[in-house]
Amino acid sequence: MNALELHHVSKKFPSANTPAVNDISLTLRTGEILALVGPSGCGKTTTLRLVAGLERPDSGSLHIKGQLVADDRHFTPPEKRGVGMVFQDHALFPHLTVFENVKFGLKGQPSAKARETAASMLKLVGLENFGERYPHQLSGGERQRVALARALAPHPVLVLMDEPFSSLDADLRHEVREQVRGILKAMSATAVFVTHDQEEALFMGDRLAVFKNGHLEQVGLPEEIFHDSATRFVAEFMGDSDFLPGIVQNDGIQTELGLIPQKLNVPANTSVEIALRADDVDFDQSNHPNALVLARFFRGAYYQYRLRLASGKLIHAFKPHTKTISPGTSVHAFISAGHKVTVFQDGVAVEDGNAASRPNSTRS
Amino acid sequence: MQRWKNFPHIPKHIHISPRLFLAAGLVALFVAIPLVYIFFRAFTGGTEVWMRLLQTRIWKLLANTILLTIAVTSGAALVGVSMAFLTERTNLPGRQLFRWMLALPLAIPAYIGGIVHLTLLRPRGGVIPQLLENWFGQPVPTPSPLGFWGAAFILTLFTYPYVYLLSAAAFRSLNASLEEASRTFGRNSWHTLWEVTLPALRPGLMAGALLVALDILAEYGTVALLRYETFSSAIFVQLSGRYDRSAASVLSGILITIAIIILWGELRLQGQARYTQLDSQWRPSVPLPLNRWKIPALLLVLLVASASLLVPVFVLGYWSITALLDPETLSSIMRSGSQNFGNYVWNSLWSSALAAFAAVVLSLPVALLSVRYPSKLSKAISRFSQIGYAIPGVVVALSLVLLVNQFLPFLYATPLIVVMAYVLRHMPQAIRASESALNQLSPSMEEASRTLGRTSLQTIFQVILPLILPGLMAGAALVFLTSLKELPATLLLRPAGFDTLAVRVWIWAEEGFYTQAAPAALLLVLASAWPLYFLLRREKIFK
Amino acid sequence: MQVIRKLFILLIAVLVLSACGAPSVTEPASPVGTEAPVVTEEAAVTEVPAAVVEGDLVIYSGRSEQLIQPVLDAFQAKYPNVKILLKSGQNSALANALIEEQSNPQSDVFITTEIFTVQSMYQQGIFQSYRPAAADVLPAEFIGPENSWVGITRRARVIMYNTELVSAEEAPKSIFELTDPKWKGQIAAAGSTNGGMQAQIAAMSQLLGEVDTQEWLVGLMANEVTFFGGHTDVRKAVGAGEFKIGLVNHYYYYLELAEGSPVGIVFPDQGEGEIGLITNATAAGIVKGAKNTPAAQAFIDFLLSTEGQKLFAELNYEYPLVPGVALHPEVQALDGYRLAEVNVAEAALNIDETLNLIETIGLP
Repeated sequence: MNALELHHVSKKFPSANTPAVNDISLTLRTGEILALVGPSGCGKTTTLRLVAGLERPDSGSLHIKGQLVADDRHFTPPEKRGVGMVFQDHALFPHLTVFENVKFGLKGQPSAKARETAASMLKLVGLENFGERYPHQLSGGERQRVALARALAPHPVLVLMDEPFSSLDADLRHEVREQVRGILKAMSATAVFVTHDQEEALFMGDRLAVFKNGHLEQVGLPEEIFHDSATRFVAEFMGDSDFLPGIVQNDGIQTELGLIPQKLNVPANTSVEIALRADDVDFDQSNHPNALVLARFFRGAYYQYRLRLASGKLIHAFKPHTKTISPGTSVHAFISAGHKVTVFQDGVAVEDGNAASRPNSTRS
Repeated sequence: MQRWKNFPHIPKHIHISPRLFLAAGLVALFVAIPLVYIFFRAFTGGTEVWMRLLQTRIWKLLANTILLTIAVTSGAALVGVSMAFLTERTNLPGRQLFRWMLALPLAIPAYIGGIVHLTLLRPRGGVIPQLLENWFGQPVPTPSPLGFWGAAFILTLFTYPYVYLLSAAAFRSLNASLEEASRTFGRNSWHTLWEVTLPALRPGLMAGALLVALDILAEYGTVALLRYETFSSAIFVQLSGRYDRSAASVLSGILITIAIIILWGELRLQGQARYTQLDSQWRPSVPLPLNRWKIPALLLVLLVASASLLVPVFVLGYWSITALLDPETLSSIMRSGSQNFGNYVWNSLWSSALAAFAAVVLSLPVALLSVRYPSKLSKAISRFSQIGYAIPGVVVALSLVLLVNQFLPFLYATPLIVVMAYVLRHMPQAIRASESALNQLSPSMEEASRTLGRTSLQTIFQVILPLILPGLMAGAALVFLTSLKELPATLLLRPAGFDTLAVRVWIWAEEGFYTQAAPAALLLVLASAWPLYFLLRREKIFK
Repeated sequence: MQVIRKLFILLIAVLVLSACGAPSVTEPASPVGTEAPVVTEEAAVTEVPAAVVEGDLVIYSGRSEQLIQPVLDAFQAKYPNVKILLKSGQNSALANALIEEQSNPQSDVFITTEIFTVQSMYQQGIFQSYRPAAADVLPAEFIGPENSWVGITRRARVIMYNTELVSAEEAPKSIFELTDPKWKGQIAAAGSTNGGMQAQIAAMSQLLGEVDTQEWLVGLMANEVTFFGGHTDVRKAVGAGEFKIGLVNHYYYYLELAEGSPVGIVFPDQGEGEIGLITNATAAGIVKGAKNTPAAQAFIDFLLSTEGQKLFAELNYEYPLVPGVALHPEVQALDGYRLAEVNVAEAALNIDETLNLIETIGLP
């Protein structure tokens, strides 16, 4: 049974012109972590709130553990849905101690059992000695873990996390998210995780759902999303891709950087764009320069170069430290992908000439 | 005065509870009925009454009321801003002490201040003219506290703290970088004051000035004492003098209309007055050195503090001691009918406390609706429930007398009708405090509680209320303070044997027995100072 | 038992005294009262033992509290089981309250500083009938129609002056001299909200007509008379020499004199063709629907008892209405003076005209 199902869910706020969430369908399997990712205002948080019962959908239906929680006629309020939520600002109750915060959701259980559960949750997040403190006496990372413990304590069907790490510093964020993922997996929790940070989404999600302007662009495994983007937007948002125009020919795609021998399921002479990441591009100082080095950025293990092609198009390339090339040098750039590149026609990925479908991803 | 913190707009529609909506609607209705009733009475008062009033009183009253309102509002603005400037932006010695001394006059009802100044300054009989006469051997002309100028002077003395507090907070929250930026553009500190500091002060100043204006419109005791007739005092005279209520209703209708115009202006400006918040980047401005102006500035602040606080408290204390030492006076203070002094104190305290509690409880549904489910309708309900600001106590009393006696006769002539008047009149303070407290509470607190299995009602009691309690207490303290000082509605509505401190002060003072009035007045001031102290401690200039 | 016996003796004493002291009364019984449809109880029947009279007694009093409290205290001492709830205010304000409460009566007794208000209340049907025993000896004009109210004490409107500033010869002999420019700015009086002042204006309207009364009032205003809220302010101001002349009720002069101030008194308008001394009386009535009629009756009886009358005479320098009660030794008897004759019923009917007049000329 799926832990969560959304069927054609839409939600529009009275003050807005366009729907915040537009015809979203999603399923989430038990034990899975789904990361909702997209730029701010794309509808990912609204989707999470619809699942939590903090918003009511205008149309469509929601099922949690097979039970209908919202449709045109039914609406189960949040307190009856059995979901746990971790808020962006953590929303710890300042008038309660850490222990009382964690115990808050265990209402209805015998007191002794509730205390035991709360204590074990605090232990799980490594804060067993912090129970008597108040939230304002904790560091950001500790608060984060209390919020998680509080959400997990009632053993919710579903854990919902709304940008839970956005209030943390960069180094702390990396540490905490690893801990959080470990805890969620240790409890075999089913979770929906909202973030606007693609790297965090790739790290946290068993699967990813990429949002844009209220609708779903692509749902899939992190690898699929990264390497096999369904749309130009996904490729751009998830992979920092540059886009190079090309014309489809019988034997491949003709681009400014030469012919890419990749067959597509589209007629010849169609205009397409190919997505190029910095690791797909290389250059040398041969005799046929076609690009100018504009800038060089130190990226730790490698250099990133910004190149301007003759057409004025900017692309990026990675190179190891072994050789340093100064900006202003004319170079010869070429594609060194070693795999098939993703090609878009009018913003949508074009299927390969011989591939039939993508088994694990859907396109909207 | 309020520290608002607006959370980024997160849509907050869980599901508008019909119960909450109903509760807020009922509160608005409770407030609306007296208002609508008075308007109804005013405009069905009959052409004859209108003609009589139009021919005789209205124009003079209108001129009197508007003149006094303008004079006091400008006076309070001038005094309030200059005092705030001196205590917040200069190196005036003893600033911390003066801050308290300049804010505490809010605890002194203007009519009590009026009594003191009247005794001191009354031409030929006052303490000061007599001293001068003894000194110079002949009468020296002194300004009279009676009439327009006297009323304007005394009301300014006891209303400027509104402006003072709001502009001191604004001065305080001005970021030093703002003034520094101006200095780097080649302005000297004097130009910076005029071109940068004062304009930034405007929203707070306007908000304070409008509070003063509404206060003046509603003022009864002082103007009656100083024999200057305004709409409020004329309504009181009509109400107590005539057996026909039409004239009072007509005047009330006009007065409410003026007040609503002012309130409307205030609401339009209120939005801008909010942003006096300190952010983490805030640094206090460097105080301007007063140099050779130090002594004159000190004298000025001392003069204002003396006239509005030290002298009244000293005089009341002196009279109180005199009264307590004289057995005959003492016995007359102690009793009225079978009631004694303890009864008055107790009546004052419990009625004001009950009003504070009721106002805060009633303000909650309205505030919850307007803060958590913002819409035109919920804002309208909130605004409408605050109409009490615009209805002077006399008018509230009139409508309650007429309404309650007709429809709820069992409530009439019980102290509860007095409490009801306090609630109606002071509800806005409770609503504003509750809204401000809720605005500072992140909606995610409630949402967290909901996802942790609490219903909306349980959430209100287990999460919202404990968290906004300090804000609610501030609202309650404000309602308590103003109810304690309330005079005209109490005078008109009190049942026999239910005299409050304010009423006792008035009954004695109106007859000219100032010594008798003093202990009650002093006690009233002290009782008001206590919630005021609690409120001021919340303000950043007193931290 | 002791108390009851004492009371009984006292009662007899009162009856005997009043019978002896009132030889001039020609009409011992009120001619109006006999026509009343309501039962007129005999005093002897209502004089119940003091201990039996109990409960709350609600008194609306237009009198200055300082002047009535000693009488209340004496009544209280006599009827210890009665709890007096006093509401003090302007005559007119309390009258208004009575009208408002007509269907829902809240008070038992109403005391005023002048007769017009009680007469007006009678016309509104506010009072119930009660004929105290002492009514037999009261002058007829001080018993309301249908025994609705009774007069308690008499007061005269007099001119007081500061003897250090004004000689007896100089002092005005008529209230019409108060508009003489030679007193400009030197006169103090009670303002238009004061019952005594209102009654004076009402009386003058009847005696002189509205036009002349208005002329007199406008004259006072033109003469820069200072109007105070009450007479206490007036007498103190004259006593202190702030003002040379004050227009007051006679006892304010005596109260000021008793404090050692240099003040003199004029009983004005005694000359040929002049209107005579304007007097009025304090009065009281029992409210129809009173919750404690026995206590109210006991209270009225007490006010008209020798003890009550003596208190008014001795503490307040008022003229007792019950014949035979001695004046305060210092108080000038009214016997030798010509009193203005006013038709009470008519004056009461014209109270609204009086208020209109005050309003029209804007008397402070």
